[in-house]
Amino acid sequence: MEAWRWADLAALEAGRATPRGEAAAIDGLWIEGDGPRLVFEDGVFRPGLSNPCEVVVEAITPETAHPLGAATAGTGWRLSLEAERAVTGVQIVHVATGGENHVPGLIELGRDAVASVVETFVGTGWTNRLTTIRLAEGARLMRSVRLLQSSGFVSIREEAEIGQAASLASLFLGAGGASSRIDGELIVTGDGGFAEMGGALLTRGEQRHECAVTVRHAALDGSSRQIWRAVAADRSVASLAARVDVVRGAQKTDGEQSLRGLLLQRTATVNLKPELEIFADDVKCAHGATVGELDARALFYLQSRGIPEGSAKAILTRAFVADAIDRIGEDAVREAFAADAEAWLAAAL
Amino acid sequence: MLQIDNLHAEIDGKPILKGLSLTVNAGEVHAIMGPNGAGKSTLGYVLGGRDAYEVTDGSVSFDGEDLLEMDAHERAAAGLFLGFQYPVEIPGVSNLQFLREALNSQRRARGQEPLSGGDFLKLARAQASALGMDAEMLKRPVNVGFSGGEKKRNEMVQMGILDPRLAVLDETDSGLDIDALRIVGDGINRIMRAPDKAVVLITHYQRLLDYVRPDFVHVLADGRIVRSGGAELAADLEREGYGAIAA
Repeated sequence: MEAWRWADLAALEAGRATPRGEAAAIDGLWIEGDGPRLVFEDGVFRPGLSNPCEVVVEAITPETAHPLGAATAGTGWRLSLEAERAVTGVQIVHVATGGENHVPGLIELGRDAVASVVETFVGTGWTNRLTTIRLAEGARLMRSVRLLQSSGFVSIREEAEIGQAASLASLFLGAGGASSRIDGELIVTGDGGFAEMGGALLTRGEQRHECAVTVRHAALDGSSRQIWRAVAADRSVASLAARVDVVRGAQKTDGEQSLRGLLLQRTATVNLKPELEIFADDVKCAHGATVGELDARALFYLQSRGIPEGSAKAILTRAFVADAIDRIGEDAVREAFAADAEAWLAAAL
Repeated sequence: MLQIDNLHAEIDGKPILKGLSLTVNAGEVHAIMGPNGAGKSTLGYVLGGRDAYEVTDGSVSFDGEDLLEMDAHERAAAGLFLGFQYPVEIPGVSNLQFLREALNSQRRARGQEPLSGGDFLKLARAQASALGMDAEMLKRPVNVGFSGGEKKRNEMVQMGILDPRLAVLDETDSGLDIDALRIVGDGINRIMRAPDKAVVLITHYQRLLDYVRPDFVHVLADGRIVRSGGAELAADLEREGYGAIAA
């Protein structure tokens, strides 16, 4: 299957084979704010470490045909908001110690409801998640995900239905040592809906990150953005397949797709695959895909002003991923993500 | 301050500098003039420490230290400033962020305390204003969307902030209109005309030399200095052309 072209299922098996051990410390992972907090350890909810407030922990039966997503059936979390309610600053920390763990998540926002959710993944093993999102008319969801597992494999499937004038922004940062697979299917079902999925994937060593995302415009006047930045060092591989489908009749769709890769060494690989399938005649879909190295002229310019080579590379790489990370709307979350990217750069350069 | 002896340098195996010698003392302004392809920009890059250029013979000392042994960033910390003929655009990095990092890297290398955000901002604003650059441009990404003249002005703002002891300025006058030329010329005089500082002004035309009066003028042709003289040599060149003088 084309969507699995770059998949590294051996890494998933290796992650699953990691024996369970001690849980990593999570205190430093919370971002400032007094929203609901949930901790899942090896996929099991930890009430003593959590304060779920509006978020409900219960059995969820996923309605998905996705093979990894379907494997999450069991106890998960749900955030359901009635019309015009707002719950922001939800934080969920997933700490894994080894083996495999599966958790489904469900976010349902009523008319004009607003929510923001940050998920953080740490530890090791195979971590598998499905998040199902349903946004009613005018609802807005900001979702930020940071992949900080030190080893193992993280697979994340996101399925979203975006209603009339509703808005979803889902932004990912891969800045850990684990390999990952991010799958997304966002469907804009209502007129004027907005869908965004993107982020920065930083890979080094033998790591592999891959991402296969489809945004489907099934209504009028929709807009979408897929802005992905991949930075690959050593012998790592980052693969991005991003697709925009515009169904017949989805006129005035405005889609933007920007996939860019940066190779820190020539032994690294970045695969980019932008795809557009458009069955309407009055749409605007800008797209671009480039892979390159740090600009030697820019590097020398910084060095000639007194900046040592390592710092100069970090400055240019930071600027490269900023396009993706800066799209996170909440200051504290954006700063936390930027600090994680910074820590990755300091270690990789 | 700067002592260049029999310098040979090449790029991609192609010899460009073929035995260039030059002595620059503190308090002096030297103009290096010459036709296109003479090796003027190569001289700048070799002094600045760009990797792509290979020095095959000769020596360069800066304040008695072997300049060629230093990395580019160490040369800057030692007090060398290279003004670029084509300043590089760096999207996503603001001028302020870039310059603060540069200045504080240099200060750390010299064992000085880094400058605080507030003190740095004051310094940057003062230098921008002295060179007629809108302070708002300091917040913009480095050189992105700047006109040719604005880029050159930005080079001078950087020079003012970094306050080097030796400035090697490569075609700083190209792309400048008359007004900008005067502002940049005044900037070079203000920042660099001092008993303990020196300037090597690499230029194709004489016009910047009307604003920055050189103490010495050298003609560079085919990789070496073929003639040296006082400020009047620049006027001779302008009148008679390089062909006649360099022959």
